[in-house]
Amino acid sequence: MSVAVMAGVLDTAARSARAVPRLTEERELDVPQAYAVQRALVDLRLGRGERLAGIKLGFTSAAKMRQMGVSDLIWGRLTDAMRLADGAHLELGNFVHPRIEPEIAFLIGDRIDERTADPVRAIEAVAPAYEIIDSRYEGFRFSLPDVIADNSSSAAFGVGAWRAPDTELGNLGMLLEIDGRVAETGSSAAILGHPLRSVHAAARLAATAGLALEPGWVILAGAATAAVALERGTHARVRTSVLGTVEVTVHD
Amino acid sequence: MTEAADRLARAHASGEPVEPVRELLTDVDQAYAVQRELARRWTGEGARRTGRKIGLTSPSVQRQLGVDTPDFGALFAGMAVPEGAEIPVGAVLQPRVEAEIALVLDADLTQERHTITELIGACGYALPAIEIVGSRIRDWDISLLDTVADNASAGRYVLGGTPVPLPAAGDLRLAGMVLERRGEPVSTGAGAACLGHPLRAALWLADTLARYGEPLRAGDTILTGALGPVVAAEPGDVFEARIEGLGGVRAAFAKETV
Repeated sequence: MSVAVMAGVLDTAARSARAVPRLTEERELDVPQAYAVQRALVDLRLGRGERLAGIKLGFTSAAKMRQMGVSDLIWGRLTDAMRLADGAHLELGNFVHPRIEPEIAFLIGDRIDERTADPVRAIEAVAPAYEIIDSRYEGFRFSLPDVIADNSSSAAFGVGAWRAPDTELGNLGMLLEIDGRVAETGSSAAILGHPLRSVHAAARLAATAGLALEPGWVILAGAATAAVALERGTHARVRTSVLGTVEVTVHD
Repeated sequence: MTEAADRLARAHASGEPVEPVRELLTDVDQAYAVQRELARRWTGEGARRTGRKIGLTSPSVQRQLGVDTPDFGALFAGMAVPEGAEIPVGAVLQPRVEAEIALVLDADLTQERHTITELIGACGYALPAIEIVGSRIRDWDISLLDTVADNASAGRYVLGGTPVPLPAAGDLRLAGMVLERRGEPVSTGAGAACLGHPLRAALWLADTLARYGEPLRAGDTILTGALGPVVAAEPGDVFEARIEGLGGVRAAFAKETV
């Protein structure tokens, strides 16, 4: 299978919300090839009129990296069509087997490229966020190249109210509440030890890919807790100690 | 019950874990009777009680043990490790660490049912804490009865030295917690992980102890319960816990086997 064919398989899986077998079941795929598939996959979306809106980081905890047997983060591309409003309702049928996780989002104020000395100074605002992850693979099971090719499982995201990044972010309590009950508890420290490290990581990974991070884009820094499966009618709210809340509801 | 107490006392004396004691006990009241008997023996040897700890405060631990209630144990002065001092190898059997919020009372809590306002009014201040739990039961093969009899698996505790009055500590339910070893977060969580709210755990303790006839007193320290997953400790490990609004505390384990 060529890069274009693999991208097409994953694109169709996402658009039809039908899981496909892992790419690596049929062929070898290394990490650079997997990122090439991811880029071709997102290019298909851009060809339909979507616009890049930021990047997401995954495997942002040492425990998760060990579990996956890797030594670096993974990243994926966000588009405007993936962005949901705070308080949005979503259709379960548009996803294969979606899960939600609480995150911290950064808003880029100044362009970040390989010439940027300190990417943190280019950050304009910070907000609580959620990411809907939805592997397009059967059983939500994949190898490292599989998940990278699948745009790092990213499916949708929502961001709460932005505020100036003038507060200490290293250890914010973060709850994921499902239907009003606490389902997961965590701290922003779970994100690389400090979520601002994700800004440096995003700048490094984007530069490696020759991608500049543009003003107005969002960096999803990584998950503060384990993900929770979304079901019909689920109301999910991310609650943080000082950044406020952001929430989403699944239609009945 | 005497046999259970003797078995656990033997583990304390020898530093060798023992077989579970659950088959010697019929219910949780008997397990608390064993805990009380051990405390009576230690007090007779000069131990001074400094407070209480609450255990089994997380949904995952409760599920694991098949219970829907926390438990409690006693803290003694000999368990309090000053921050900066090293915890000798072997001081705690099969040690594990967890980060918690400690509350220090400046009033008694003697009612059978306290309100949250009475609890808040009785709290002098809060401190960040690292509890080193340990089990005298081999391989941590514990049921509810085992851990209750074994003083709620209490071992040592380290308190941070900068008190924060409760009103200044912020919303303890949302307080973030990170426990680090060698700069890596090995456990993260928040106040809500402790029975939904650390003050709810403390309220349960106050009511339970009052009914038990040994109410909480002014000066008592309460370790309210873990704010995230527990982590096994190895000789030489240094842990640092930070709790949002309360600051940090360190616990260091000695390197050498004595």
